[in-house]
Amino acid sequence: MRKGVLSWMALGILLAFAAFTGSAFGGELQQKLTEESVLEQVLKRGTLRVGVSTFVPWAMQDKTGKLIGFEIDVATRLAKDTGVKVEFVPTKWAGIIPALLTGKFDVIIGGMGILPRRNLKVNFTIPYDVTGMSIVANKDLAGNFKGLEDFNRPDVVLALRLGATPVAAARKFMPKARLRKFDDESQAVQELLNGKAHGVIASAPMPAFQALKYPDKLFLPIQGTFTKEPIGFALRKGDVDTLNFFNNWITVVQAEGWLQERKHYWFETREWEDQVK
Amino acid sequence: MQRKKLKIKPLDIVMALLILGVAVYTAHRITGEIRYSWEWRSLPQYLLRYDAEAEAWVPNVLLKGLFMTIRLSLWGTVLATLIGTVMGLCRVSQSLFYRLLGRTYVELVRNTPPLVLIFIFYYFLSGQVMWALGVDAFVGSLSGGTRVFLELFFAPPSMFSAFVSALITLAVFEGAYITEIVRAGVQSIEKGIWEAAYALGLSRWQQLRYVVLPLATRRILPPLAGQFISTIKDSAIVSVISIQELTFRGMELMSATYLIFEVWITITALYFILTLSLSLAVERLEIYLRRSEA
Repeated sequence: MRKGVLSWMALGILLAFAAFTGSAFGGELQQKLTEESVLEQVLKRGTLRVGVSTFVPWAMQDKTGKLIGFEIDVATRLAKDTGVKVEFVPTKWAGIIPALLTGKFDVIIGGMGILPRRNLKVNFTIPYDVTGMSIVANKDLAGNFKGLEDFNRPDVVLALRLGATPVAAARKFMPKARLRKFDDESQAVQELLNGKAHGVIASAPMPAFQALKYPDKLFLPIQGTFTKEPIGFALRKGDVDTLNFFNNWITVVQAEGWLQERKHYWFETREWEDQVK
Repeated sequence: MQRKKLKIKPLDIVMALLILGVAVYTAHRITGEIRYSWEWRSLPQYLLRYDAEAEAWVPNVLLKGLFMTIRLSLWGTVLATLIGTVMGLCRVSQSLFYRLLGRTYVELVRNTPPLVLIFIFYYFLSGQVMWALGVDAFVGSLSGGTRVFLELFFAPPSMFSAFVSALITLAVFEGAYITEIVRAGVQSIEKGIWEAAYALGLSRWQQLRYVVLPLATRRILPPLAGQFISTIKDSAIVSVISIQELTFRGMELMSATYLIFEVWITITALYFILTLSLSLAVERLEIYLRRSEA
């Protein structure tokens, strides 16, 4: 009996202690979270490290080896508005999420589509752009194909960049076709030109550019895009401050019309082409 | 050694023509069947470009990549030689513990694919190691002059931590092979020499330091130089962790310009020129050592 009372008292004291330290810890935690947020670290370091992957016309090297493209403009302006320098970390697409998670850079600004499966691993900002998949096909192999349903056959081979978005689009619209996945789009396009694939699925506007470049070899079976994908910045989980800052930055530059203007320059004009080749 | 006089026989001409024919046929097929539009014209500018601001010719992406490959292989081999010497001595140690240590390291590294090792190192270990070494803080605290030095001999400050993790990975991987070279070198020294050194009253360490190792080094040198060439070739693998060496730079260039064949052919040529000239140098070294030994 006596023992029981003592134990209860001990438990009570422990609980009170826990509550006290808990609340104190809560306050500390909040401060710690703020201090440890990517945003604070970026300001302290004076540089924003951005993970990018070469992907025409989102991010690519110009003739001098300098990075140019839509994403590069976005990241440069973001860093300028934050008051820090920007530092690009060119990374292979296949390893870009692990590299973000292991802290090789602060944020991915690389035309990454917001997908629920991806979102389980990383946080996404609100979309700063909407893109879609389009398809370019080989004239010899798929010359008589009229629409997407013609590609939905087991003897059709589609080449695409490894990663979730083009694969998801192919699975949805041509589940029967065989997929051949590559590290980057140039390899997928080469497979198509070599006549080993019927079509290439990729984010607009690349397929259209390729059809223009090889008019006697490639064509567009459908005009425009057949999916719609919101694109966001990806950052590590558990960082509300940075997410909030990025979200509001996107809202501001969108309201200004700046994003739309940049997008028009990179996606609808070809004025930048002689900077690359 | 007498140099044989070069004499061209009819068969040689037939062989040369055949090889040329295959090359022309391949090029023709690529142009005709695949209808690949060759654009060699735009390639040289990625090797060297004229910088209008500095008014000078400066290396562009591909040459920069080649320099990075050279730096990576050079430091990688230096570090791997250090690891290899220590581990190699462990392998021939009299203590069971050290022998086990050396053996475990060699077998672990040699029996796993380098690609897998690199991923494990880069994503799991390098973060911890870099943090423990304080690389980021160290680079951040450097002054202007040291930064230039760092950029010239290692990598630009922003890439330094990635460079170091690639370097460590490469060194650990190549170190296993150098371990075996060192072990073989030490074991190749005749028993009589050990015994002679022992008879002089030298301790085990002194026997190694003053008698065996100087002799073994001569025998180790040629295979070690050969391992350096292997390191250059193996360094292409770190392109998967986005180190800006030749292969990675080339692949970046391909995805930006779609000059696939041109860039791959150029990369191949660059690697080949680099390793072939080193192979010839190693051959010279071997001849020199053999002569000086005789």
